[in-house]
Amino acid sequence: MSAQTPVPASALLRGPWTVETLARNGEVLHRHRVAALPIRMGRAYDNDFIVDDDYAAAHHALVEAGEDGKLRLRDLGSRNGIVHRGRRVKDVLAIDGETVVRMGHTTLRIRGPAHQVAPELVDRTMHGWEGMLPGGAGIVLAVLAALLVAWLTDASNDPERYAQFPAAAAGVGLVWSGLWAFGNRLFGRRARLGRHLFIYGSALTALVGVRLLASVAAYAWSLEWLTGYASHAAVVTIAVAVYFHLATVTPQYRRRLRLACALLAILASSLILGGNMQRHGRTADELYMPVLLPPELRASPDLPVADYMNQVGAMKQEIDAERAGQ
Amino acid sequence: MKRAVLAFLLTCTAIGVALEATSPLAAAQPQAQNLTQAAPRATQNTATVGAAAAVGAPQMPVDSAPAATPDAPLAGESETQVALPEPSSDAQDLYESARGDLLQIRMLLKNGRTQSTVGSGFLVGTSNLALTNYHVVSQMALDPAIYTAEYIDTDGNTGPVELMAVDVLHDLAVVRINRNGSGFFKVPEQPARLRQGQRLYSLGNPLDLGFAISEGAYNGVLTRSFYDRLIFSGPINSGMSGGPSVTASGNVAGINVSRRRDGESVSFLVPVKYAQELLRKVAEQAAPPGDFNPLIGKQLLAHQAGMVDKLLEEPLTLKGMGQYLVPVRESGEVRCWGRSNARGAVYSTDSMSCVMQSAVFVSDTQQTGNVAMTHQYIRSGTMDPMRFAALASDNFQVNNLGSTGDPRLTKPFCTERFVHTRSLPMRAVTCVRAYRKFEGLYNFTLLTASLDASQSSLQSRLDVSGVSYENGMRVTRAYLGAFGRSGRR
Repeated sequence: MSAQTPVPASALLRGPWTVETLARNGEVLHRHRVAALPIRMGRAYDNDFIVDDDYAAAHHALVEAGEDGKLRLRDLGSRNGIVHRGRRVKDVLAIDGETVVRMGHTTLRIRGPAHQVAPELVDRTMHGWEGMLPGGAGIVLAVLAALLVAWLTDASNDPERYAQFPAAAAGVGLVWSGLWAFGNRLFGRRARLGRHLFIYGSALTALVGVRLLASVAAYAWSLEWLTGYASHAAVVTIAVAVYFHLATVTPQYRRRLRLACALLAILASSLILGGNMQRHGRTADELYMPVLLPPELRASPDLPVADYMNQVGAMKQEIDAERAGQ
Repeated sequence: MKRAVLAFLLTCTAIGVALEATSPLAAAQPQAQNLTQAAPRATQNTATVGAAAAVGAPQMPVDSAPAATPDAPLAGESETQVALPEPSSDAQDLYESARGDLLQIRMLLKNGRTQSTVGSGFLVGTSNLALTNYHVVSQMALDPAIYTAEYIDTDGNTGPVELMAVDVLHDLAVVRINRNGSGFFKVPEQPARLRQGQRLYSLGNPLDLGFAISEGAYNGVLTRSFYDRLIFSGPINSGMSGGPSVTASGNVAGINVSRRRDGESVSFLVPVKYAQELLRKVAEQAAPPGDFNPLIGKQLLAHQAGMVDKLLEEPLTLKGMGQYLVPVRESGEVRCWGRSNARGAVYSTDSMSCVMQSAVFVSDTQQTGNVAMTHQYIRSGTMDPMRFAALASDNFQVNNLGSTGDPRLTKPFCTERFVHTRSLPMRAVTCVRAYRKFEGLYNFTLLTASLDASQSSLQSRLDVSGVSYENGMRVTRAYLGAFGRSGRR
C-alpha cells in the first residue's frame, strides 16, 4: 500500500510503530507500540519488543529503516530464523503493513501510523433486542407451537399432554440455545442466550406452520407433492435457523455462512431423496397423501368413479414396465 | 377391565378366524427345534422298550437312523396311545399294513443338502407315483435351482424325488420315486361315499418325530373354503401334510392339508377326487414340465377368474354404518366380523372386516387369491373439526403397502384422487403391485375415506391379491362405486 502513496520516504518512516501478534486465523492477539526505529525483537529483556516464545532467540530480529522508505526485517542469526510465506528469510526482508512473518511460534506484523484501516461497518444489530425480551418471546413461541401440536394430536382428552408438550419444547429449546450461547461466548464476546432462544422459538413455530400450511394447501388444491416432499421444507427451515444461530455467533462471515448452510441443506435433502429411493423406490416421503381435512377446506373438484378407474387403468403400463425392468 | 378382556377376545377370534383360517402344515422346522421336541420321546422309547441299546432316535439325520428297529416306533405308539381315550386295534393293524407305502418327503437345499421343510406322502397303488401336498414341494417347484427333494420311508430307506405335476389350487402334487408301492393305498376311480362320523385314519410324520397314525372322524365338506375341503375331526400336525387319510379298508378319502390353529383337532383334507384328476393328468403327459412357474401362474390366473366372477356374480350387499352405506360381500367363503372400540367420550370407532376364508398357498411367504374388505367408521361429537381431521389423517395412513426390493412383488404404484360416487365424495387411493414370478397377476389395494363430514369419517380398505389387472379393476370399481350415504344420521 505504501508503495502507491506519493508520500516522501522520510514521512513514511515516522513512528510510532505497532507490533501486532496474530492468531493463526489472522485475529490480533496482542498489540505493542514502539516509539521509534530500530525495533529490537527477541526473548531477552533488553529488547523493544519482547517475544514470549521458547522457540525465539534472545535477540532474534531487528526492524530498521530501508533506503527506499520501507522497513527492513533483519535476522540476527537466530537458530529458527524468520519465516515469510512458508520460506525462511535469508538475512533481510523488506516488509510493509501487510507482511506477516513468523518467528518461532509467534506470528506478527508491524504497522505504522499511516496504515489505512477498513471503513466502519454499518451497524444493523438491534441492540434493544437482546437478553430477556427475545428470550422470553422465543420461549413463548415454542410453548405456543407445542400447545398447538398437543391440541391437534389429542385424541384422548388427556390433560397431561398440555403440560408435557410445552415442557418438552421449552426444555429442548433451553438446551439447544444454551449450546449455541456457549459457542457464542467462546467465539464471540457475549453469550446472547436470549437471541438464540428467539431463533429456536421462531424455527419451531415455522416448522409447525410450514407443515400445517403444506397439508392444507395440498388437500385444498390436490397438490399431493406438497406433503410428499414436506421434509425438504423442514430441512430448509432448520438450515435457515442454523444460519441465524451462526450469524449471531460470528456476524462478520454472513456470506460464507449462508453458503455453508445452503450446502448443508442440499446435502440433507439429497440424503432424504436417496434414502427414500433406496428404501421405497420413490423420491417422495410417502406413497400417497394421507391428509384428510374438513370438507370446507377442499377447493379441488372430484372425479366420477369411471374417470378415476381410467386413471387406475393407465397405471398398468408403468407397473408392467417396472416388472419387466427387474 | 371386562370390556378390555372382551375386546381382546374378540380381536383374537376375528384375527385368528379371518386371517389364519387354514394354516398349511408345511413343516418348516429348524433341526434344532426338532431335536428339542424329540428328546423326551427318545427317552420314553428307551424306557418302555428296555432294549435301550438298539433304539436309534427316529428323528436323527437319515444316515444315522437306519438302525431304527421296527419294534421301537411301535412301542412308542403304544406309549402315546395309552394317553388316548380309546385304544384301537384297527389302527395298529392298519398302520402295520400301510407303513411300507408311507413316505416322508424332505425339501433339501442343494448346497449342503440340509432339509428346509418336511412333509409326508404316500405311494399310490402299485405305481411309483406318490401323492403329497403342493405346499410340501413348493420350494422345489418354484426354485428348482436351489432346492431338491428326497424321500425317506418307514424303514429309513431314502431316495430321490422327481416332481411330476402340481395343483396349486387344491394343494396337491404328484412325485415319482425309485420304487413301487405295495398296493395298500387305493385311490379309487369313483370316490367312496363317506358318511358323517365315519372313522378315518390319518397317517404321516408329525413334526418330524417319526411316522404316526391318528384316528378321527369324517365330518362333512367345508363350505367356507373356495375349493372343497373335507373336515376331519382328528389331530393332524405339521409334517403330516401330504399324508393320506384312509378308511379302514385302505381307500384314500383325502390328503392331509391343514388344520385350524385356534381349534382342537379340527383338520382339513383335500378330497381324493382332485388327486385322481391330477394323476390322470400325469398319465397323459409325456414328461414333467421343466419349469413349473408358468404352470403355477396359469393355475393362479384360472383361480382368480373364478374367484372374481363368483365375488361379483351379484351386486355387493350394502350395509349401514352411521350415515353411510358400505359394500360388503357375505357368503360361505367370505365371512364378516364386527368390532367396536369406544375410546372414552372423545371418539369411537366401529369396524367391520370381511375376509375370504381361504387363500391359495404359493410359497411360505406368499399366499394369494384372496379378498379382504374392511370398513372403519370413526365419529366424534365433541372434537373440533381440525382436531378430528388430525385423527382421521393419522388413521388414514397405512404403511404396509410394500416397498422396493421385494423379490415377490414390484413396488406399489398408486393413483390418488378426490372422487364422488352417487351420493358421497371420497378420497380414493388405489395401489397396485405386480407379481414378479407370475405374469399377469397383481395385488390391488384400495383405500378410501369419506369427505362429507367434519366430525365423522368412514375409512375403508379393499385388498384383492393375485388377480389380473382387469379383474382387479372390476372389483375396485364395484366396491368403490357402491359407497353411498343413507338418509339417517
